[in-house]
Amino acid sequence: MIKKILIVDDSPIARKMLKSCLPKDQGFEFFEAGDGKEGFEKYKDIVPDVTFMDLTMPVMTGYEAIEEIIKHDKNAVIIVVTADVQMKAIKTVMESGAYMVLKKPLKREDIQSALSKVNDSLQKV
Amino acid sequence: MNMQEEKILSDEEVEILQEIMNISFGKSAADLADVIDAHVVLSVPFIKIIQVTELPTYFKDHVKDYKTISIVEQKFWGRFKGDALLIFSSGAGRELIEMLHHETTSGFESDPIDILERETLMEVGNILIGACVGKLAELLKDVVTYTPPMVVVERDYTDAVIERRYDPESTAIVLKTDFCFDEGDVSGFLFLVTSNDSVSWMKEALRLFIEQYE
Repeated sequence: MIKKILIVDDSPIARKMLKSCLPKDQGFEFFEAGDGKEGFEKYKDIVPDVTFMDLTMPVMTGYEAIEEIIKHDKNAVIIVVTADVQMKAIKTVMESGAYMVLKKPLKREDIQSALSKVNDSLQKV
Repeated sequence: MNMQEEKILSDEEVEILQEIMNISFGKSAADLADVIDAHVVLSVPFIKIIQVTELPTYFKDHVKDYKTISIVEQKFWGRFKGDALLIFSSGAGRELIEMLHHETTSGFESDPIDILERETLMEVGNILIGACVGKLAELLKDVVTYTPPMVVVERDYTDAVIERRYDPESTAIVLKTDFCFDEGDVSGFLFLVTSNDSVSWMKEALRLFIEQYE
């Protein structure tokens, strides 16, 4: 079951929006990072069950952070949450090992169905 | 943040607007990528609030590294109203012709290239501006209409930019995104400039937007 969630986005508002879409009754523990580099560092410390990752960020982009995280932990579950929904962006992150891509602005039902899917996968492992 | 910014929009309102701009430009880049054979690389959007009289200097500072620039401009009207200025780097028009039509410019020897260049810039500008402003307005529960695009092709930036006809007493909210293409040598800026006429509506629209996520 999902317990620890890491949210990587340079926008505090986007992090707040994402958190508000997550179910309140599941006892999740939240961690946040403001760019890809900080996200990668926190990933190594925390080892979250799910990482939500933006793509367009300063310091280190989401594309780079996904590569670093997957290099470090090939089983990492990274859900990309992005406004950049160009086909090439989606193809690139999926090839890098992202679990799925969700489009901004987020909808609660999209997040909840993504988390159910992750929980199903975790139970099969 | 300077005093003007504090007075007009709070830090949180600027952050909300920045995220909305991010979503909106993402939409316009995806729309453009559907018709052009390239990936549009986006930057983190930036909001600046300045006096209208400072706008020409502000624009010039951003484009001074380009030898020449091309500009597509559209005005938009709704409760959210202002100017969209899409500024392209030198040679962008001809690069875009190739990217859109998958042919070299020499394939158009019988066509007047300057007309084709103008039309291509207008087409690309229309997609980027329309999708971005349209999405921004949609997220803020507004509907906007547009003037037809106006195009300035390959001018020296000192001539092309830009003595706008704004009320000199007015304050401008500038929403800026840089972009480039992963193929072809095309880059530029999208500026949305709205005046303090839209501010009280915008503050309320931003509040309602974020309220969905409280």
